[in-house]
Amino acid sequence: MESSRTTVDEDICIMVGGQGGDGSLTVTALLAGLFRRRGLNVYSSRNVLSRIKGGHADGVVRASRNNIKCLGDHVKVVVAFDEEAVLATKDDLDPNATIIFDSSAGELDPKLVDNTVKIYNIPFTKLILAEIRRELFKNSASFAVVGRLLGFPDEEMLQSLNSRYGAKAAPILENNIRAFKIGLEWAGKNGLTAADSTSPNTVDVKQKLLMTGNEAVSYGLLVGGVRFFAGYPITPATDVMEYLQKWFPKFGGVVKQAEDELSAINMALGAALAGARSVIATSGPGLSLIHEGMGQAGAAEIPLVIVDTQRAGPSTGLPTKIEQSDLQTLVYGGHGEFPRFVLTPGSVEDCFNIGRLAPNLAEMYQLPVIIAMDLGICQNTVTIESLDLHSGKIDRGKRLTAEDLAKMPVYGRYSFTDDGVSPYTVPSTENGRFLITGNEHNEFGHVNTDKLNRVKMMEKRSIKMKSALKDLPRGTVYGDESSKIGFIGIGSTYGVILEAMGLLAKEGVSSKYYKPLTILPLEDAIGSFLDGCDEVYVVEQNQSGQLSNLITLKFGRHKQLHNILRFDGNLFRPREISQRVLQIREKQSAIVH
Amino acid sequence: MTQVFEPAKPIWCAGCGDFGVQASLQKALSETGTNLNDVVIVAGIGCSGTIQNNIPTYGYHSLHGRTLPSAIGVKLANPKLTVIAAGGDGDGYAIGMGHLIHTFKRNPSILYIIMNNETYGLTKGQYSPTSNPGFEGNVENGMDGILVGLGVPSTTFLARGFAGAPAQLTRLLTDGLTHVQSGKGFAFVEVLSPCVTYNDTYKLWKNITYDVDSDTNFNPRDKIGSYTTVINKREEGKIPIGLIYSADHPSLEQVSVDDQEKGPALQDISLASNMDRYEAVMKTFLG
Ligand SMILES: Cc1ncc(C[n+]2csc(CCOP(=O)(O)OP(=O)(O)O)c2C)c(N)n1
Ligand code: SF4
Ligand SMILES: [Mg+2]
Repeated sequence: MESSRTTVDEDICIMVGGQGGDGSLTVTALLAGLFRRRGLNVYSSRNVLSRIKGGHADGVVRASRNNIKCLGDHVKVVVAFDEEAVLATKDDLDPNATIIFDSSAGELDPKLVDNTVKIYNIPFTKLILAEIRRELFKNSASFAVVGRLLGFPDEEMLQSLNSRYGAKAAPILENNIRAFKIGLEWAGKNGLTAADSTSPNTVDVKQKLLMTGNEAVSYGLLVGGVRFFAGYPITPATDVMEYLQKWFPKFGGVVKQAEDELSAINMALGAALAGARSVIATSGPGLSLIHEGMGQAGAAEIPLVIVDTQRAGPSTGLPTKIEQSDLQTLVYGGHGEFPRFVLTPGSVEDCFNIGRLAPNLAEMYQLPVIIAMDLGICQNTVTIESLDLHSGKIDRGKRLTAEDLAKMPVYGRYSFTDDGVSPYTVPSTENGRFLITGNEHNEFGHVNTDKLNRVKMMEKRSIKMKSALKDLPRGTVYGDESSKIGFIGIGSTYGVILEAMGLLAKEGVSSKYYKPLTILPLEDAIGSFLDGCDEVYVVEQNQSGQLSNLITLKFGRHKQLHNILRFDGNLFRPREISQRVLQIREKQSAIVH
Repeated sequence: MTQVFEPAKPIWCAGCGDFGVQASLQKALSETGTNLNDVVIVAGIGCSGTIQNNIPTYGYHSLHGRTLPSAIGVKLANPKLTVIAAGGDGDGYAIGMGHLIHTFKRNPSILYIIMNNETYGLTKGQYSPTSNPGFEGNVENGMDGILVGLGVPSTTFLARGFAGAPAQLTRLLTDGLTHVQSGKGFAFVEVLSPCVTYNDTYKLWKNITYDVDSDTNFNPRDKIGSYTTVINKREEGKIPIGLIYSADHPSLEQVSVDDQEKGPALQDISLASNMDRYEAVMKTFLG
């Protein structure tokens, strides 16, 4: 049989799919590692149902010499353990794609795909059952075939299996290697011979970091001095709890898994007022449960960082799918009126920087600081250059020591100040006793219902939003700043918009993009960006255009504002956005002419 | 010396049982020689949840029902603090019941004073989880928090006092404080604290309380015996008071806080002193 090896020229995207438990994600992780060792940039995502075994699951890994930050448009290689996996990726298939199909239950019907697509039928399940008796090792056999197809030398692949399974029980490693060798044999039978070890694809190798947004935000929080975490497991926020749990023992931190989110946020409030930098992370239904506690942090002026890893709601919704549909409740949710910041990282670097900054902001301004992530940015893996650990600082705001207090005739926890921020103490500070309460209170924290006091206290708390403007993260303009066509988008739309802009440029349409980092208080820079645009496209993963509504409420409706929305639980693809823009522009010019 | 908040005059109705609770708590704090700078009182929402305003310690008025999680957060952040949680029967047995069971299970060294008046005082006299059938239209039987505590394997200290028996109440609170200050875990003290305005039960409780402390046959370290006594006395229409159960079990802070000298609140978080370890974590992402 003739061999048709696929090589990484510029950009390649591989999808591995089957039923949950087939081990697809392991194959994409192994491939991601191999690509990275070649110095390529990697972006990978996973698509799983909220159960361990069964249901369609797939992983996608994209590798490129370019600085990719999204999935791209075309899948070039598919490893499919069943027909469903082929159907799931059919619409995104490159015309010259290759499919490696597990033909244990029959060969793939070639009519399902274009006739330009190359198909390898290899009965992985049957082979592995016959030889090893445990189906689960079939993914290592498929890894051998796809690795050969991509031109990775056998030795390199073997090494990555060793480093993945070396620490596991010996039979696990042995069986994976047996399965891998069976895969090699069948690759050979299909004309995929071993590559030599000097692969032509190797680019200049500089070691890079491979991180998800959840890893980056957790790491940022750690470096930002967070030492207390409380949470209740929920996808995709649980990762944050697990990473901190792994790191905290070396840093004297504590992670507490609570009985529910009500408990979690109140534990974090307690730890915060005792002086520990505290964080909770939640998503979906958990976000609804923490609103009372968020208001408490606002009214009682307790520093707290809240990570919301947005997923598709309402209710349990699509628990493993992306959405950006909490923005409105993050900005307005909760009873009563209280100050808060809502920050929206777009890149993995943003996740780290904002994770590190948020605990400072919380203590400097004594209020809830919300980091609004989305499932795509949380879970997808990106290669980045190293993070700069030295540029940050720890700022504990107006925290008083016993020595500071000794110089003060009077200390009231809620004393009035010009910037609205009162000096604070933590328990055990000599002469620093406080009363903290979410009831309206006077300067000493005694409950107070006087109307003048009420107005002054409300103003004191709200003025903090203005005082903080100098310290809040600001967004960035990308692309052609002189263009009159502008995009706005947050979170995981960032990488997709950048790539869509590249596609538009190829069509002769130049554009620019503003990626905001603070949506409460909404950055003024958005207003000037709108002023500099004749047409604006706000790209969001929700149904009602929540970000564009926030923008319109503050800056008025832009004369040419278009929403590009997706809420089917899947990430945007670049071409989808560029095409929508071209369509809208065509329609507009038809109206004008 | 810096002037901090003046303890408030209690806002309770004259004759409210909560006065007795406060007096006994202040005596217990002084008898244990506790430095008030190291005490945090975490109060619930209710008439009972104003006690922290009246005592010169650190005070936190938490949310209704969230008294215990808040207190756990304080304790885990700084295990050296003496943490006292205080609230009503609505706060602890209704909206906060889930947390109560988990607090028994976790066994943090926190003294929890639940002022049980068998009603919601602050919201003007509705029935509560401990009210008897017939009170304000209640049709459900009342529950007993001590039996809940006995049902959880890691419970270490269960007592009930009566605002009308101040000497015993002071002793129970002193023992409870000693229990938490020696890191032995969760000290649960329910106080029968009559609401003279909506449910005046002084006389009734004087008649129906049964003091296990003066029962020489009663052994609070015998779990089955405690269970039997509480159930039997309840069936006779009596309410047992005194130290009902005590046991040993590692405390939450002992098993959760790695650095026993310094909790999370006392860690040095400066970049300089952590840089090596931060860099080591970053290396794990190099694959
Ligand atoms: C979430 C919530 N629901 C309802 C209330 C209203 N509320 C305030 S105190 C209280 C009950 C108080 O009863 P209890 O806890 O027994 O305290 P007591 O006043 O009897 O000391 C209620 C229902 C509230 N503050 N928060
Ligand atoms: S209403 Fe009842 S519980 Fe509240 S202060 Fe008055 S007597 Fe005490
Ligand atoms: Mg009550």
